[in-house]
Amino acid sequence: MLISILHRQRKAAQAAAQAIKEAGGTIEQTRRVYGTRLLIRGLLWASVYLLSRGLLELTIPSAAARVAIALLPTPFFIYYLWTWMKGVSEMDELERRIELEALGFAFPAAIVFMMTIGLLDLAITLNPDDWSLHHVWLMMPLFYYAGLWRAKRRYQ
Amino acid sequence: MKNRLKVLRAERGWSQQDLADELGVSRQTINAIETEKYDPSLPLALKMGQLFDLFVEKIFSLDDVAATETRRRGAK
Repeated sequence: MLISILHRQRKAAQAAAQAIKEAGGTIEQTRRVYGTRLLIRGLLWASVYLLSRGLLELTIPSAAARVAIALLPTPFFIYYLWTWMKGVSEMDELERRIELEALGFAFPAAIVFMMTIGLLDLAITLNPDDWSLHHVWLMMPLFYYAGLWRAKRRYQ
Repeated sequence: MKNRLKVLRAERGWSQQDLADELGVSRQTINAIETEKYDPSLPLALKMGQLFDLFVEKIFSLDDVAATETRRRGAK
């Protein structure tokens, strides 16, 4: 079912991009369409994630229900990522380079961060309320946005 | 790499946005090329040559250091 929805969305996105091009639209217009979609799907994913976090704070005895709730945001995040990847494929060469440089910064930064957290945890046992996987993954998008800011500044 | 894009564009009275629309890239890309912060790909450079009806080397050239290095290597 999810694959069918993604397929239909892909067709709709292609049709929208084609319509913009045929109407004599610019890359900026195409980018605005994808920017809006990315924002909406990002908000959708964030809402489901927060809902899932909230539900998991409650006492739900069934392990199966807890697993289902924990997995609930995953398809929404994949959907968001797919939109982002689609947006990248519509970008021009400089914008793609900026994305590449942002990821080129974020990936090693994430490795250094995780390695440091892991070693510190071995050394002094970090508080899991602050440093568990529930919280640490939030640093990854921050590294990406830091890389994006850095790369955009370079070409401004 | 140096380029004459700004001069060529000004000669034709085009804005950065006009040129970007013609080439199917963003205005930011044109600005980055003009300020020599970004070197375009070969297909984009060739498209520019086609648009201005010029050979690519009439639009883009290696800067002094790179040109000297290339000449030095060629002389060996």
